[in-house]
Amino acid sequence: MRFILLALLPLLAIFLQSTLFASYSIKGVVPDMVLVFVIFYALLNGAEKGARYGLICGLLEDLYTGRFIGMNALSKAATAYIIGKLQGRVFEENVAVGIIGVILGSLLNACLLFILAFAYFAVFNIDRSLFINIIYQSFYNIVITTPIYLWYYQSSKRGLLKETGER
Amino acid sequence: MFKLVGKKSFWAVLGLLVIFLILMKYSSGTRAEITVVERVLRDSFTPLQNGLSGLKRGLTGVSTGLESKQELARQIEQLKRKNNDLSLENQQLREYKAEAKRMRLLLNYQQDNKEQYDLTVAQVIARQPNNWFNLITIDKGSADGILQGMPVINADGLVGRISNTSYHTAQVTLITDREMAVGAIIQNSRETQGIIEGMGETNSLRMINIPYYSKVGKYERVVCSGLSKFYPKGIQIGYVQAVKKESNGLLLSATISPAVAFDKLEEVMVITQFRSPVVTSANKKE
Repeated sequence: MRFILLALLPLLAIFLQSTLFASYSIKGVVPDMVLVFVIFYALLNGAEKGARYGLICGLLEDLYTGRFIGMNALSKAATAYIIGKLQGRVFEENVAVGIIGVILGSLLNACLLFILAFAYFAVFNIDRSLFINIIYQSFYNIVITTPIYLWYYQSSKRGLLKETGER
Repeated sequence: MFKLVGKKSFWAVLGLLVIFLILMKYSSGTRAEITVVERVLRDSFTPLQNGLSGLKRGLTGVSTGLESKQELARQIEQLKRKNNDLSLENQQLREYKAEAKRMRLLLNYQQDNKEQYDLTVAQVIARQPNNWFNLITIDKGSADGILQGMPVINADGLVGRISNTSYHTAQVTLITDREMAVGAIIQNSRETQGIIEGMGETNSLRMINIPYYSKVGKYERVVCSGLSKFYPKGIQIGYVQAVKKESNGLLLSATISPAVAFDKLEEVMVITQFRSPVVTSANKKE
């Protein structure tokens, strides 16, 4: 059950990002809900598991978009690995940890995407508006983080997302 | 360092990195065919996206129905007045059209109007799931005769181009996307040519490579130049907002306000075919 839910969450996030959130975008910017789920998973399950989950979620997003396949997979895996290093060193039950994790993760993920995009500069037009988008997106991510983190933490400790040894 | 090289995980990470960098390179441009995995993933979302899109349209209908009677009466009155104005304008335009046809015949020019397009109407069912690309998903795919590269328009102007298709959906790259470039011309002067490129924003485009001697004024209409094989000539793109000199002093660039409201796109038309127009004897009779 845990495995199914973990697989469904990024799919639900992609669906919501491409429909509901796209209709309520801030200046055309949508939140990265997939990243939010990856960060939560990494915060609660550690660096290595987080990186694996980030890789799969990012790859799903890339396959849906169909362009630069691997860009999100790599950036989300690396982001999750770094954020996952905080596991056990912070009070995960505090919602502020989730919010700070999402702020740090959003900026980190954007930097990594920027580096990867820069490597393909010939076909990718980079300018100031990208940085503005990153700020808007980090803000949007924080807005959706609080309610989701409360549920995610509870579910990971006592609910459907609790690790039981089942795969 | 040597410790790292000896670890299995190091080689696994390095292998994945190389695989994904190759994949990125392979998928960086537009592809005629998408993989089976992508097709299955995209088509599996279609019923849900269609459902939500239909629900949204239904809710809009309900909210309109709930508006007060007076408000609706006021709107009808306004629309009637607008309709009268447009009918009058239409009459004048018909006159201009006939005149233009005659002029074309005289000059032996090729005609370029909507009669030469085969259009397929499609609903927008989803948008880009991230902020790096400006894409929309429409509810018509390869099963409906949609092919990669076909231009997409709506009543206001150029929307974008089909970047890839699955059986029941197609992905449209909007002209606001950072990777898009469209040959454009200022409609009135006909002499100022340039390239329209996306800036990744929904409400702004940039026209580059305009020669420094060009006379480009604010609010001038920009249309497709027809020099590219992808877009038919004359489709509206937007209006000039501001013009500035490039640092090299030889070229100008202009900020263009798009004619299409990309945030509010609900229906679009795919040009499935546009024929190279020829002046025929039937045309001559007109």
